Amino acid sequence: MLLEVHHLSVCYDTAMILNDLSLSVGEQELVSVAGPNGAGKTTMLRAISGLVRWEKEILRGSRYGDITIEGRVHFSGERIDQLPAHEIAERGLLLCPERRRPFREMTVIENLMAGAYLLKDKEAIKEHLLTVFRLFPVLKERSRQVSGTLSGGEQQMLAIGRALMSRPKLLCIDEPSTGLAPLLRKEVFQKISEVRDSGIPVLLVEQEVSTVFKMANRNYVLSSGKIIAEGTAQELLQDEVLRKTYLGL
Amino acid sequence: MIENILINGLIHGGVYALLAIGFSLIFGVARIVNIAHTAFYMIAAYFIYTFSTRMGLHPLLAILLSVVIVTLIGMGVYQLSIKPIQEHEITVLIITIAVAMVFQETVLLIYGGHFRGNPGLLTGFLEIFGVRVSYQHLLTLIVVLFVLLITWWILLRTRLGIAIRATAQDREVANLMGMNVHRIAMITMAIAVMMAAIGGVLIAPLSVVEPYMWLHPLVMVLAIVVLGGLGSIKGSLIGAFILGFTETLVVFLLPLGAFLKGAFSLMIMIVVLLLRPEGLFGVAFEEER
Ligand SMILES: Nc1ncnc2c1ncn2[C@@H]1O[C@H](COP(=O)(O)OP(=O)(O)OP(=O)(O)O)[C@@H](O)[C@H]1O
Ligand SMILES: [Mg+2]
Repeated sequence: MLLEVHHLSVCYDTAMILNDLSLSVGEQELVSVAGPNGAGKTTMLRAISGLVRWEKEILRGSRYGDITIEGRVHFSGERIDQLPAHEIAERGLLLCPERRRPFREMTVIENLMAGAYLLKDKEAIKEHLLTVFRLFPVLKERSRQVSGTLSGGEQQMLAIGRALMSRPKLLCIDEPSTGLAPLLRKEVFQKISEVRDSGIPVLLVEQEVSTVFKMANRNYVLSSGKIIAEGTAQELLQDEVLRKTYLGL
Repeated sequence: MIENILINGLIHGGVYALLAIGFSLIFGVARIVNIAHTAFYMIAAYFIYTFSTRMGLHPLLAILLSVVIVTLIGMGVYQLSIKPIQEHEITVLIITIAVAMVFQETVLLIYGGHFRGNPGLLTGFLEIFGVRVSYQHLLTLIVVLFVLLITWWILLRTRLGIAIRATAQDREVANLMGMNVHRIAMITMAIAVMMAAIGGVLIAPLSVVEPYMWLHPLVMVLAIVVLGGLGSIKGSLIGAFILGFTETLVVFLLPLGAFLKGAFSLMIMIVVLLLRPEGLFGVAFEEER
């Protein structure tokens, strides 16, 4: 498998946020993770991408108390859980963060160039820029606009486009549909499956299971820091308890 | 007189811009308020004094040596005394005040409190439309504007510049894009201290070199970054010229102006903040997480 997470646990001070979590993503796969608010979905992606470690490092000795991380993360056969976040990105694992977080003072094109930071070859940058513009034509139209003034939907496209600029081996996306109108959500999900079809596997955290489960190859359900179910849309949606209690369907 | 006001305003504004932009860059990228920033400007002035006046080195060589040495000192100070406590704002304040005091006291010990002069690189005047402008002033102005232009180009047009601005806006996302945030902070520190050092070597021949010469610029830099909007590079640039010209006007037009210039600049800052609390070009930092 491309990404393998083994027995990952994260504690903030005394609160156990992730509890012995294991999951995997294969080449060509779109894998979704769903779960109620506060289940630990964002924390899981932050731990995989190295941000929890970064947080632990910069908060060392501060008033917020200790962060402990246990378990192993393998990516392309290499152990990455000891690496700093920027080296994990170098290996090709990119996270498109919760709340999109564009570099607000910079223009759309500058944001995309920031996403291309890992590339040194000008030709490759141009080529990837064209690919991103083909996927999100609106970014081309708005390329000189300061990204803080984009609409929510456009910002989400930008955040995904920025993460795609370095042509990652795995794209992780955290709740891309937050705050978007239903029609726009459909469009964003459509784009995400296009990304998978273009050969970039995706690990997608999303609450809107009715659409996402059908798109995804496999799904996990996370609750209180634990994986409580795993399977295809059919398998999971058959389970009445799961549907009612955790998925709100 | 108008030509004097113009050229002095541009020079002072320009030197303040060198200092304030560097200060803003470090504040943005590493989230630290570096009180020692203008102390690097002061020691650069002493290095140029030592190398050219005392040791008699060629002025260009002296300039080069001073800037390089001060930049290296700045990087060392960052690595050894700021980086380990970078995330604790109050400690950073205390440590950087301490660093500035160490520089000041060291200079006092070695050179005493005397005012030192420093010869310029050039002598003579240029006549433009019947107005005499000294070559030294002209040269200083050209170098200041040139350095500002290069900084601008680096920030807007290069890969490093994009990384610096991205890191200043959101360190976590910069990390996610593969930027080594610690290394970028170190490079930014080097650029910022280099700009301060260039300011110091340029100002040395035009004014006096003394151990307390970092205090007034520090107050001005703080006023400029608040006026321009904390974290805004454009704000720092424009704020620097506004206050540089204000000072020059006060010095030239008011009796006892030299004593009043600081007060006037701070008054402008206060008025702007009353009208626009976020400063001229205020930036909202993306809170992390
Ligand atoms: N830095 C932190 N310090 C302390 N507790 C934290 C921290 N980050 C997250 N938590 C806690 O961990 C739990 C999981 O948070 P997380 O953001 O991962 O949930 P989530 O599944 O992404 O929720 P949502 O659907 O609302 O985005 C929450 O209870 C949160 O309060
Ligand atoms: Mg979340």
